[in-house]
Amino acid sequence: MKRLGIATVAVLVLSLPALAHAEQTSGKKRRPLPPEFGRVVLDAESKKAGVPPVVFDHWLHRSKYTCRLCHVDIGFAMTANGTKVKAADNAAGFYCGACHDGKRVTDGRKIFDSCGKGSPQEVRGTCLRCHSQGKNVVPQVDFVAFTKGLPKGRLGNGVDWELAEEKGLIKPIDFLEGVSVPRKSLTAQKDFALSPKLEGMPEIIFSHSKHTVWNGCELCHPEIFGAVKKGSVKYTMSEIFDGKYCGVCHVTVAFPMQDCQRCHAKPVK
Amino acid sequence: MRRTGRTFLGAAVAAGLAAALLAGRPAAAQAPAKAPPPSPAPARAKEPSPAGSPAAAKDAWKREFEDVCAKTQDAMSLTSEELRALVARCDKLKPAVDALDETERKVASRRLRECRNLYQFVLESRDGR
Amino acid sequence: MPGLGRFGLPALVAVAVAFPSSARHVVPPDRSGRVVLDNFSSAAQVPPVPFDHWRHRAMFTCRLCHVDVGFAMEAGATKVSAATNRAGFHCGACHDGKKTHRGKPVFASCSESRELPAAGTCGRCHGAGDPARLQRDYEAFARDLPRKGIARGVDWEAAEAQGKVQPLDFMEGVSIARPPLAMDRDVVIPSKVRWMAEVRFSHKKHAVWNGCEACHPDIFPATKAGTAKHSMFQLSSGESCGVCHATVAFPMADCERCHVKPVR
Repeated sequence: MKRLGIATVAVLVLSLPALAHAEQTSGKKRRPLPPEFGRVVLDAESKKAGVPPVVFDHWLHRSKYTCRLCHVDIGFAMTANGTKVKAADNAAGFYCGACHDGKRVTDGRKIFDSCGKGSPQEVRGTCLRCHSQGKNVVPQVDFVAFTKGLPKGRLGNGVDWELAEEKGLIKPIDFLEGVSVPRKSLTAQKDFALSPKLEGMPEIIFSHSKHTVWNGCELCHPEIFGAVKKGSVKYTMSEIFDGKYCGVCHVTVAFPMQDCQRCHAKPVK
Repeated sequence: MRRTGRTFLGAAVAAGLAAALLAGRPAAAQAPAKAPPPSPAPARAKEPSPAGSPAAAKDAWKREFEDVCAKTQDAMSLTSEELRALVARCDKLKPAVDALDETERKVASRRLRECRNLYQFVLESRDGR
Repeated sequence: MPGLGRFGLPALVAVAVAFPSSARHVVPPDRSGRVVLDNFSSAAQVPPVPFDHWRHRAMFTCRLCHVDVGFAMEAGATKVSAATNRAGFHCGACHDGKKTHRGKPVFASCSESRELPAAGTCGRCHGAGDPARLQRDYEAFARDLPRKGIARGVDWEAAEAQGKVQPLDFMEGVSIARPPLAMDRDVVIPSKVRWMAEVRFSHKKHAVWNGCEACHPDIFPATKAGTAKHSMFQLSSGESCGVCHATVAFPMADCERCHVKPVR
């Protein structure tokens, strides 16, 4: 009887975590809407300075520039808030200010000045274009109109960016005058196959050429992929889903990994 | 354990768990601080400085950097000797880059590091280490 | 009680007391799988939407809505609004007044038209509806379908296997086809206590409805075999298997549907 009493107390105690767990959820999150995929909120300095954090949606920039231009030449980090961009940096021509200086021209239009000097009236409207979290800001370039003619892709932005670049529908710029180092074109690397650990899953065909179009060499080597001997590092899906290796890009900005067959493409015979 | 000991233990566990659950969430974020007054932005030299001036020395590092790191695309086709020489040149550049102003130093040292490490990476994968 | 061992009785008390109501109460099948969507409805002074899964589940796979269209698997997490519907997302991915399902047009959701019939369709979703009518509709729907379990709900697995329901896995303009991945592996999950049978998880049976993407990696991140920990407390709180089986799929009160492997 005493044992039953203790057991009941223990049970009531043990059920408390379960009740607390009921508030926590680990179900499937909503799929980000196509214009939202690739969104990064930059708040290393904004709130401290009393402005709303910056909401940066990758899709527009990635259609115009390579990943390498921003993440190697200009020097942005590959993780949210890893760069710690300040208004002074932008005004000095670094980071966002490398292009957003009010002088550079793209598509025949001047790129608006970021964190620039000017009268409060002139400047305030421009601030909101980036510092828009919580504000109802309508972007100047409409996602639906912009992506209308681009090939449809599964998940992510709903656009097959790889195919769009191949077909010449987008021509991402890889060189920024005054910032980028003039380089010759890339020696082509070979594609190679990676074998999955799970029996029955098709092999992964990794294409260097498809990746170097956007990334060059330094973006991935050696910071993301540092193994000098082929096969010495086993990439596990749990690490990849966690944001390591392939997951540095393919969780947040490049096509998401729920699209298994884009990588696991070669059937095992 | 004696009977009273077990009962006490059970009650203590219950109390401990209850306290942990009842502990409040961390305090809400503090109100945003007032914006600091805008500081004068450091000018970024766009034209080459007159030879012999300290500014010219600054530009020299940039020219060397552009020369060294222009070859990252061809790293796979360079010889090991060439790669070692490039790594050495990167290492020599580091003090000049470390002497730059805050943000320029942050950007340039990252680029130099990536460039140097790429050459090193290609070298090591070639040697099969 | 025979066969329960030393802690069998307290353990039974544990099971009975600790499980939240979803595992203990038997929800009538016509209301099982109901999700009330109210991120914005009440604020807009419109009745919230009681979404009953069974109607859609007969027509579409879980994957189509939860991966291709992109609904979350938690009530209130998707944030469906009239604006997103009108823009062709969420409900509006199909309920746009233009798409057809098996030859019949699908009514537009949150239509801005003031003309009938479009103007009269708000009530089809936004409104509690008549509970008796719901029950009649369900019974008419489920009359010829196999039933199973404590609640005598539709046995969807058997219904699909027998071809009595044919859920679509592809919607033109929404889905993009991919070659199917073969994953026929069963996973044996040993039970933590001696008196419950092991669980034999069938990938094949789940992939029919979910593909890979509905579960991996959001609900089940890839882990080494045997390292994932599932406790019944977690499941009944809506984690791991409970994401579906505490809400929409067959309830966990039907223990023997999972704990199938007989005790040695």
